[in-house]
Amino acid sequence: MTQHSEFLLEIRDLRVQFHTDTGLVKAVEGLNFTLKRGEAVGLVGETGAGKTTTALAIMQLIASPPGKITSGQIFFDGKDILTKSEEEKRHIRGKKVAMIFQDPMTSLNPVLTVQEQIAEMIRLHEQVTNKEALEKARAMLQLVGIQPERGPDYPHQFSGGMKQRVVIAIALACNPQLLIADEPTTALDVTIQAQVLELMRELKQHFNTATILITHDLGVVAELCDSVAIMYAGRILEKADARTLYGNPQHPYTQGLFHSIPDLTKNVHRLNTMPGLPPDPTALPPGCCFAPRCQYADEACSANSPDMTEVEPGHFVACFKIQEKNGRQAHG
Amino acid sequence: MVLLRKNSNLYLTLVRLRRNRLAVLGLWIMLILLLTAVFAPLLAPYHYATQNLVDAFEPPSWAHPLGTDDFGRDILSRIIYGAQVSLQVGVFAVSLAMLSGGVLGAIAGYYGGHLDDVIMRFMDVLFAIPQILLAITIAAALGPGLMNLTIAVGIAALPTFARIVRGAVLSIVGQEYIEAARCMGASDAWIIAKHILPNCSAPIIVQGTLRVAQAILAAAALSFLGLGIQPPFPEWGGMLAGSRGYLRDYAYMAVFPGLAIMITIMALNFLGDGLRDAMDPKLKR
Amino acid sequence: MIPVALGVTFILFSLLSVTPGDPARLALGEDASEESLNEFRREYGLDRSFLVRYGFFVYNAAVNQDIGRSYVTRRPVAGEMANTFPVTLNLAFGAITFATVLGMTFGIICAIKQYSIFDNVTMVIAMLGISTPIFYLGILFILWFSVRLRWLPSSGFDTLSQRILPWITLSAPSMSIITRMTRSSMLEVIRSDYIRTARAKGQKESVVILKHALQNALIPIVTIIGIQFGLLLGGSILTESVFSIPGVGRLAVEGIKSRDYPIVQGAVLYIAIAYVFINLFVDLLYAWIDPRLRTRYRY
Repeated sequence: MTQHSEFLLEIRDLRVQFHTDTGLVKAVEGLNFTLKRGEAVGLVGETGAGKTTTALAIMQLIASPPGKITSGQIFFDGKDILTKSEEEKRHIRGKKVAMIFQDPMTSLNPVLTVQEQIAEMIRLHEQVTNKEALEKARAMLQLVGIQPERGPDYPHQFSGGMKQRVVIAIALACNPQLLIADEPTTALDVTIQAQVLELMRELKQHFNTATILITHDLGVVAELCDSVAIMYAGRILEKADARTLYGNPQHPYTQGLFHSIPDLTKNVHRLNTMPGLPPDPTALPPGCCFAPRCQYADEACSANSPDMTEVEPGHFVACFKIQEKNGRQAHG
Repeated sequence: MVLLRKNSNLYLTLVRLRRNRLAVLGLWIMLILLLTAVFAPLLAPYHYATQNLVDAFEPPSWAHPLGTDDFGRDILSRIIYGAQVSLQVGVFAVSLAMLSGGVLGAIAGYYGGHLDDVIMRFMDVLFAIPQILLAITIAAALGPGLMNLTIAVGIAALPTFARIVRGAVLSIVGQEYIEAARCMGASDAWIIAKHILPNCSAPIIVQGTLRVAQAILAAAALSFLGLGIQPPFPEWGGMLAGSRGYLRDYAYMAVFPGLAIMITIMALNFLGDGLRDAMDPKLKR
Repeated sequence: MIPVALGVTFILFSLLSVTPGDPARLALGEDASEESLNEFRREYGLDRSFLVRYGFFVYNAAVNQDIGRSYVTRRPVAGEMANTFPVTLNLAFGAITFATVLGMTFGIICAIKQYSIFDNVTMVIAMLGISTPIFYLGILFILWFSVRLRWLPSSGFDTLSQRILPWITLSAPSMSIITRMTRSSMLEVIRSDYIRTARAKGQKESVVILKHALQNALIPIVTIIGIQFGLLLGGSILTESVFSIPGVGRLAVEGIKSRDYPIVQGAVLYIAIAYVFINLFVDLLYAWIDPRLRTRYRY
């Protein structure tokens, strides 16, 4: 009996901590997140906001020690992954949830041929002979735009962009329900970035895979994603479909992000920057994590952490000030 | 004290070294050993060669804390005096290897070409002979004695330093600041002394420390085989060799000199490992 | 290899020619007549200059496969080598096998269970292993296993029970170094991105370690094993001395003491050639393990 849930992925109050020499790092701190089937969401935030940690938590690949999921639930297809056995987790990893890592240069095993690395994924999750697995691996290569004859080559014989195509082929080899792409283009040249993004767009249409695209580039999100979640200091501050969020950013942090994108139509001497720095993850502020940098913050913001509220259909924001404003409008 | 300015490389190295408990332990042991060697005549309860056949094969007692050997000589006193030999051979042999090997390696790496070929092929040949065997042959050719033992062990360790320095020189010589120095009219010797050697000091110091351990080990091995220091002068390896006839009944004669070698080598290894981690934190994981 | 053989023998010839002591007197004894001494010197070419002798040696070795006769036993050196060299090889191969198999196993376990009790204890023992001279370790083993417990014999190399102590003794330092190297190499590889990729595929942890991590970690480990084999050949001299094993190392030491130069030359030559072969083998092994080296020649 499969319990059908509206959401493919639902994360509730996730907390991930790392024990380091400098103290307890709270990388993810009370994260709530939902993803519909086939939805592509962009997870946007600065370096250290906890994006990759969230992805690794979904994959159940947090290195322990030093890391640990201290609380929360991750429902995939209606079932909590965290309560599953290691054996069950392995059947989800790769088969149902696959991941593309940030740096293609180091993500492939240098001593194995690329077709072997793709075929390994297929053999693990499908009942195939070795020959079928290799054939399918070569078909995957073709799908990502690499000649299938190059299958017996080793990673060092490929360029960075080609390697990322191989990584994508590995991730999609078993047609996963969810694909997590962790800054898939950051390590590539600008021209190659465009090609890889184009490939990902094509494949998304082809497979209709739900996607979490981790990035700090709002432009990339606009190209690929249906919706956007803004992450800051281990929490999601705002989530909406892409058009809504780009047209009407609500959270002061999101507004700051958009404000810092240079406008090519205007002649400016200095780029706009946001004052202050993200909080130290070993000493997060007690209330709203953005309060220390927020121009609208008051005592209430520093005392409590705001929950997500729906400000318009499908548009969620975690900010007391916006809640207040909407509340006034509702009453007034 | 100028060298110990805050944030100078040496200062940072020492700070990191102090955090490594094993390295500090190694340093203390070596310090104690050095003092033991220097003040051996004051510390040793007996002279190393004093024979007393009546007291031969005495097990450890108050009079002879580590017992006596087949000639009735006090083993503790002989180990204390033995520290002189081991430290001298270790330090001087490595200095010899470091200097001559370093110069050869620097020349080979800096000038390249035929000179490099000749020097490094010669080093390859020396490398093809196991070091202990090379040291044995040289020691045999030179004859017994402290000085000859030092030379034999030193030459055997020479190729290692030639390779390290050559490798370091090659990695530095192509860099732009060397070109810049050359353009400013600096002489070869100046460039080597001022720019190149300071930049490969870290691996040389680390290898030097570890090599002192190897040199002490090699010297002990030679004496153990009867090709190093000759009796009655005490050498730990030689003492071990002398005990072999009496293992069945007088095990302590073998245990203590061997322990002395082991502790010394271990202290130097701790120190060498610690220095390596302290000088290049990148290397440590 | 031929240049190495020429170089090694030349260095030995030079060293031995300046070694004090008269081989003829040592071979024939104190009361040999001047006549018989001269006869001996003529027979072995000791009356010729050092370069002439070296020339003859190289010529004979190359053309007649003859590397001289022992001054003491008067038998061909090649024959003496045929008797002793297999013993030394057996000793060295036994020791390197022990060292590699156990060292890598311990190293892998230490890396997987970093900072565990097993890891800490193994690292302490490895440090002891590196710091203990093999001749001391051999004596300690004899004291404990032969004298005290009477489990294993303390000398000889004919039966398996005679071989166990020498093998373990000689392997101890190498095993320690291989353990440490395997551990640090594995630790480095386990943290790399492609291991995370393998885990992200849903691969079993045991396969991740043994297939993905080990093959990458192997490259520096093989280097160390090659170096260790060379050291083992040298260390076998001491092991043979401690356990009275009739190997090539003990023959060389006796040769030096009795100024039996042909024997010394033969012994060192054989060991040097074995060493060169091992280095060659290690280079081939690299290419087999690391496709980056293998494919370099194809492009």
